[in-house]
Parts: sequence; C-alpha cells; structure tokens
Amino acid sequence: MLSHMFVRMIRAVLVCLCAGHAFVHAQEFKLFDRTVQVHGFASQGFVYTNENNWLTMNTSGGSGAFTDFGLNMSTRIVERLRVGAQVYDRNLGQLGQYHPSLDWAVADYRFQSWLGFRGGKVKTTLGLFNDCQDQDFLHTFALLPQSVYPTDLRDATIAHVGGDFYGTIFLPRRLGDLSYTAYAGHRSDSIYSGYPYLLSGFGTHFTSFGGLQYGGDLRWNPRMGLVLGASRLDQDTTGKGTALNPADHAAPRIPYSESSRADWMNQYYGEYAVGKARIDSEYRRYVRDQLLFGGNSRNLTDVRGWYVSGSYRVAKRLDFGAYYSHYAIVSIIGGALSQFVPSQTNTSLPANHIYDKVITGRILLRKYWDAKIEGHFMDGFGSSTYPDGFYLQANANGFKPKTNALVVKTSFSF
Amino acid sequence: MKNLKTFLMLAGLTAVAWQRAPGQTFKVIANKTMPADEISPGELRSIFLEQTLRFAGTSVEPVIEGSGPTSDAFLREYLGRDADGLRMYYRTLVFNGRGSMPNTFGSDAEVVAYVAKTKGAIGYVSASSNADNVKTLAITSGRNRGERILLTHADPEYPEILRKMHIGGTVRLRVTISAKGNVETADLLGGNPILGENAITAVKRWVYAAGSSQATIEVSIPFDPEH
Repeated sequence: MLSHMFVRMIRAVLVCLCAGHAFVHAQEFKLFDRTVQVHGFASQGFVYTNENNWLTMNTSGGSGAFTDFGLNMSTRIVERLRVGAQVYDRNLGQLGQYHPSLDWAVADYRFQSWLGFRGGKVKTTLGLFNDCQDQDFLHTFALLPQSVYPTDLRDATIAHVGGDFYGTIFLPRRLGDLSYTAYAGHRSDSIYSGYPYLLSGFGTHFTSFGGLQYGGDLRWNPRMGLVLGASRLDQDTTGKGTALNPADHAAPRIPYSESSRADWMNQYYGEYAVGKARIDSEYRRYVRDQLLFGGNSRNLTDVRGWYVSGSYRVAKRLDFGAYYSHYAIVSIIGGALSQFVPSQTNTSLPANHIYDKVITGRILLRKYWDAKIEGHFMDGFGSSTYPDGFYLQANANGFKPKTNALVVKTSFSF
Repeated sequence: MKNLKTFLMLAGLTAVAWQRAPGQTFKVIANKTMPADEISPGELRSIFLEQTLRFAGTSVEPVIEGSGPTSDAFLREYLGRDADGLRMYYRTLVFNGRGSMPNTFGSDAEVVAYVAKTKGAIGYVSASSNADNVKTLAITSGRNRGERILLTHADPEYPEILRKMHIGGTVRLRVTISAKGNVETADLLGGNPILGENAITAVKRWVYAAGSSQATIEVSIPFDPEH
C-alpha cells in the first residue's frame, strides 16, 4: 500500500517537472490584441497517521488521495476592467472526488484605489488565508491550521456568487493603509464536501446545500511588516435531500431539509513579518444554529479555533515552521433529534477538541516546485455534529484520543 | 585648516566606501510620456502592489527587476518585502483573480528598454545605469505635493572626486518647511553622508509655495555618477 502511494507521488513529481519546463515560459498569449495570462498549480500529498483516519482518507495505512490542481486565465480588457476565471479540482479522500468546479470567475472594475467592484464568482475575503488556502505553494505549511482553515470544509467559505466592493485607503502621516472588502452573494457547496459527507454517515444525503452569504473584512497595514485585521461573515443556508427515518431505519427515506436560524463567523488576525521570520495568529468563532428535519430539531454548534504559527527561512530555499492550533466545539441538540443524539458541551473531552502541534520543513526545489514534510501531534478528534477532519465513516471502530500524522506534500505552480 | 578638510574628506570617503553596499543605489524611471517628475513612497507602493492603476492622470504599469541588489534595495525600502515575498504577493493576486503578474526582467538594460517603449511603464534600476531614453522620477512626499509646490530649486554640488569614483546613490532627507515656504531644517535620513551634506546645503536654498502651516516632507535626491 505504502509503496503504491510513493509510486503515485513520484509520478506526480515527474509530471510536475515535465510540465514545469513546458509551462514556465508559456504563461501568456495574445487574444484580440490583449495579453492573456495563464497560470496554474497542482499539489500531491501523502498522509500517514498512527491512529485515527484523518481527512476522510485511509491514513492509518498511508494515503496519497490528496491531490488538487487549478488553472486560470485573466486579461485586462480596458485600463480599469479585468476579467478572468479559474477551474479547480481536487480529491481528498472521499471529498471532491475529482469533480471540477469553477473556483472563481470575475469581472473586476477599479474606479479608484479606494473603490473597486468585482462581480461573478468571487473568492471570499476572510482572515489571512481563506481565499488562498488552496495555493499550497504560498504557504510554509502542508496543511494550514485546521482549527481556522479546515480543508475538508473549504466549500463553506471559499467563494460566493455575487459581488464585492473593495479598496485601499492611504492613511496620513506614517500610518500605512487600510484595506476593506464588503461582499454579498450566494454560497453553493459541493455535495462532495465535508458537511454533506459527515451527514451521509447518519444516512442523510444532500442534493443541494447553500444560501446567502455576506460580510466584510477590514485590515490595517502600517507598513512595518505588520498586518492587523478583522472579518465578519453572515450566512443563511438551506440544505435539501433525503434522510433515514431516525425512529425506524428500515422505514422508507424521508425528505430532509435544514436551514439557518443564525450562522455567523468572526475572525481576528495579525501577521508580523520581519526579515526571514514571520508570525501569524488568528482567532475564529463560528456559531451555527440550524433547524433540522424541516424544523422539528435544532442543532447549535459553537466552534472556537485559534492558532499561532511561526516560520523562518534558514536558507534561500529552505524554511522551517511550527504552529499550535486549538479547536473546540460545543454542540447542543434540541427537538426530536435530542432523543437520539446527545448534546456535547464539555470541550475537555477528546470528542470536542483538537489541539494540534505541528512542525514543518519546506524546500524550494525550483522556483515553481516545492516539497514539504510535516509532523502533526494531535490531542483529540473533535468529531461532533460539525466536522473538523475526523469522520465516523472513516473510523468505523471508533476514535483513539490522540493521533500523530506525517504529511508529505509537493506542489507545482506556474 | 586645509589639512583638516582633506582629512575629513578622506575619512568621509572611507566611511562612504564602507557604507555603500552595492544595492543601496537605485532610481525610479518612467516612460518619457509620464506627466510627472516626482513620485512619493506611498504612490510607489500602491503602484507596485497593484493597489492603484493610475498615476499623474495616466494609466500606469509596474515593471519588476527580478533579482539582484537593486531590486532587493528598492523592494525592501518601498514595499517592505523581499523578491520572494513580492512574488508570493503577486501569486496571491493572480490565483484569486485580483491582479496580474507584472512584467519582470533580469537586468537594468531590459527594464530601461521596456520602460522606454511602453507608455505608462514605471520601474527601478540601479542609479548608475544608463537611463537616457526614460524619465527619472524624484522620490518625494506625495502628501504635501500640490499643497507645497517647489518654487525655487537648487542643484546640490556633486564633488567631482566622488563622481569619478562612481560613488553615488540616493540621499533621503527629512525637510521641514515653514508656513512661508522656506526650508527650516533638513535632516539626513539615509544615503551617503558627504552627498547628504551637499544635499542639505542645496535643499536649504529651496523655496516652496506658502502653506497654511509648517510641513515636514521626505525628499530623495539621486546622485548619478553617469550624469
């Protein structure tokens, strides 16, 4: 099994190398006298865990089902108007399953530096890394802190179909600048994402999941390597599908729907980069109050996650990094479902938290190709009514309280 | 007295030679059609970070010099990041649909050639590079530009011995202008100390348009041994 995975990785590496040489000098072409830029990326990971299976992969046996790639094209139509689109595809264990999606497709008009508008399918600005979480080559870490950027739930926050107003205001004296984004749109989750997969373990199958999403981000850059900011996200989502009858699993499936009573996220963040060192920290609180089974049940989840990360470039092509990621979830069940699923409020239990200590090394093999090796030392598995990496379906024999993971990942971009 | 002056000059030259790291000298260049002669650090930053698309009423395109001491010095001073950091910044824009990768060149000559032929292009090259076909922009404070127009300008003395030794670079001064427009103080912020002294002497003869109050601005004066 392991050797099979390594063969896959080596094959991916060879593809990266060949593609790299082919594409590095072929990033733009002319169309109607306009320059069209073409960029792409791909990454391949391998994960081995000593205990629980993680991120829907069979990681306890070693898994290389950790692939993603994207390709975009963009051009400036006139001075202030730019258009572009990106296709993205991934396979992460049981998620994604190589169903391609339109990652973003925007028309962006900049009136002034302090006011612009972009419309279409737009990446959502939320914290430091939400909009660039897929671009592995931008990060020191193979996996961003999962307490704030759960990769199995990327669909929940990654983009919206709608519009953003944005701009940068230059402050007087030496106060730097202030960037803002205000947005509204429609979120649409793939049925191959984490939350639908979690519920499929309880016999619920979504046919659609999504809804209104609006919010804003404000960040201050005082130009000393420091960025401080805050984001807010509000949502009103609806999911539809079918479910097993909780009272009688042998009975015919019943229609299932869920909708938001409240769904919001606050995120506060700071980044400080000086010389070869960089420190990031973020705190996210996510409150999600859902009406289930058409309103006869209710689930309130309160997720609090934060991390502190640091990285240092020890040589031109070599970075080391570490972070501590803290995740805790409270889940309160009301209505008919409370007879079958208990509320969970004790975050000291392994089922309601994940404390992850991580160390990473990244080497830049070429300008367009890097490789990472990362160790995770996790306390808890946080398997509640809202997921964060550990799923019952992938751990049929139950969970162990602690998990160590080795992640090896390589990524390529042009 | 003469011996003392010679001693001070030699001591200064020694200090200059020691201080003058190869990458600390650059100048900002623009296409000759650019309707501006100066640019502020804030404007440079917003142009090179693609936060603004226009400068001095015209469309503007940043041009990057890929690597080397000139690039390192410019990026560190005005963008607060190194070449890798800037590449990552542009990639973040590119892969989120928020910007494009600027044209990047490997040498001063290539940057100058591209800027010379491209309307709206703005780039940076080493202070000693030949920039006959482009315009060199003085780096100054944009905040006060327009409010305090420079009325009388005096060129600083460029000692021939320094020019022959190819000792140049950009001197940065903090200048306090009175409400009436006279330069009250000028302090050296960075650059060659001997050239800085000459720059201070010249700047103190400058006269600005009168304003409502005292103002403090930052002025950058390039000393190019080739010109």
